Amino acid sequence: MSASPTPSNDPRYTNVARGVRETYTEGEIAIDATTLDWGVPFYTKVQTAVAVGEAPDVMTYHASRIPLGVQQGLLQELTPADFETMGLGEDDFAPSIWNSVTADGAQYGVPLDTHPIVLYYNKDMLAEAGLLTEDGVPEGLDSREGFTATLQAIADSESITFPLASVTADGNFMFRTIYSLMGQQGGELMTDGEFLVGDNAAKLENALAVLQEWTNEGLQSTYTDYPATVALFTSGEAAMMINGVWEVPTMIDMKAEDRLFEWGAVELPVIFDQPATYSDSHVFAIPEGNDMSDEKRAAVLEVMSWISNNSLFWATAGHIPANSNVTATDEYQAMEPNATYSSLTANMIYDPKSPMAGVAGPMFDVMSTYFVPTLNGEMEPSEAVAEITYELNDM
Amino acid sequence: MLRNSKKEMLFAYVLIAPFVAIYGLIFVYPTIDMFILSFQDAPLIGAGEFTGLDNYERLPGDRRFGTAFWNTAYFVLLTVIPGTLVALGIALGVTRLSGRTQALVLALFFLPYILPVSVVCRLWDWTLNFQFGIAMHVLDLLGMDRIPIFKTTTWFMPAVAFVTIWWTCGFSVLLFLAGLRAIPQEIYEAASLDNTSTWRMFRYVTWPLLWPITALVLTIQLILQLKIFDQVYLFSQGGRPNDNLVMVYYIFQRAFVNNQGGRAAAIAVVLFIMVIIISVINFQLMRLSERRK
Repeated sequence: MSASPTPSNDPRYTNVARGVRETYTEGEIAIDATTLDWGVPFYTKVQTAVAVGEAPDVMTYHASRIPLGVQQGLLQELTPADFETMGLGEDDFAPSIWNSVTADGAQYGVPLDTHPIVLYYNKDMLAEAGLLTEDGVPEGLDSREGFTATLQAIADSESITFPLASVTADGNFMFRTIYSLMGQQGGELMTDGEFLVGDNAAKLENALAVLQEWTNEGLQSTYTDYPATVALFTSGEAAMMINGVWEVPTMIDMKAEDRLFEWGAVELPVIFDQPATYSDSHVFAIPEGNDMSDEKRAAVLEVMSWISNNSLFWATAGHIPANSNVTATDEYQAMEPNATYSSLTANMIYDPKSPMAGVAGPMFDVMSTYFVPTLNGEMEPSEAVAEITYELNDM
Repeated sequence: MLRNSKKEMLFAYVLIAPFVAIYGLIFVYPTIDMFILSFQDAPLIGAGEFTGLDNYERLPGDRRFGTAFWNTAYFVLLTVIPGTLVALGIALGVTRLSGRTQALVLALFFLPYILPVSVVCRLWDWTLNFQFGIAMHVLDLLGMDRIPIFKTTTWFMPAVAFVTIWWTCGFSVLLFLAGLRAIPQEIYEAASLDNTSTWRMFRYVTWPLLWPITALVLTIQLILQLKIFDQVYLFSQGGRPNDNLVMVYYIFQRAFVNNQGGRAAAIAVVLFIMVIIISVINFQLMRLSERRK
């Protein structure tokens, strides 16, 4: 079986393929895996591969890209019969995850994981400043006032350069945080195909205002790109950081080499009315354009099922396995900090279902362009929202 | 000896046939296809419906097209003439040196040119990064505020232009050096016997005799910079892409990010025509100025 260009650069991913190889003896099912660069190059490659009939038998895909993939005719539907063959179904996944692989009532992928953003924190530093609760998590995670007070207290202690490391130079990334804050107000980006309808614009403005306030008060790093954000946190120059769970292996590896302080990761603070965290999923999908025999398709289904049931290993890459039977195991519950933050699966929100949405999609670019000036205090949130609304509806 | 010209012609056609075939297949055909595509609402891959002039009619009101157009013009302004002057200056300096020193200095100026664009971007990011760049520590020492060079619209284009000149001027320096060496030494000797000042020597000997090379460098630079993409794209990663758009970047965005092949083709056609018009004007201006001398 030729498998999956993958949008993940994590070496742990190739181990998944190795796991399959070790399970199925030679000759039965063999996997030949290809890894491609993340983002636009990956999705362009999939398109061309399908167009010329050289698509792989199975591939990974971002759930957020499924609406566009379906419109482009890149993905084969996975029928209820397919799911029955795999021994999987709606009940094995959180509703938000199942919904993310659904387009027009049909399913187009088997979710492998969900990868939300979380709040990383420097335990040593926070303990010293007396800002850890009895449970060992930062104080003030339940309100805007509480969390801002924690940030302010860290700033006042003058023991550190930035209370919070934020990817303020990369609006693409900040989309995740800002969309989460919109979700915490019950807001949505797209309603019936239109962007920022009704009070949703005001909710986006509120979200931006919180982050701009942190910048204006000197509570977060400004004009910081992604690598610099991780570096600020791991070098101890920032006390906390909002980033994807995929950075968990970085922390684990550094800690193992004794190059890191005591650290933790929790669900995002509840800045507004309700907890909500933006997430996306890696899913396994069968592309069009590969002329598979029934026998081969059966093998693909078997492998997807095997990976889903054995996705505990993928949790070492920080991602939360999508299969809830896996997260319910004692082994998973014993994994830290994964078990701590996996409570957030109940509060996840995904991208709006639009061909314009999704990682490395056009919506990201529009947002990014206005988030950067706003988050760094160059532009008023209200102006940014007006511009974003205009451009989103003009894509 | 009598020549069979008909046979010779046939032979010539056979010889150039492979070239014509390949040229037709990989250049002429795609170009024609681009024009056709620009009248369709095609996605990135596959055919679309004909929509007349829709793709073109959108452009004047398309805000991002405006950004891309003016940024490209700004970039050309910042790089073509300044880059040529810098290269000329360096060439004039290098030509005064001799032997190993000359070779060494020339190598130093040429070195950036052999670097791939990804390395160039990484290098300058490490230098100018807002949090960790070396240059920012220099600003700190001087007691000045740090500047987020690649993250603000004010600094982005000038910075990319600067990096581009630094990166590519080595090639122009080589062209200028070759031109300078082709100027006969006797002219300079005669001029110095007449007690000509250095400035007059440059103004009335070097500059006019070097003009064909200068015109060549300007033309190469102009066409190259109109098609700017790599540096702008790489420096925009994780920034504010839509503010930094240039024409080719916008084509890339429409085609590969938005999956709108037809609209991308229309922008490509506009750029294609722009390059042709500007090149022709440039060529005519060069010819005029040469005739004047």
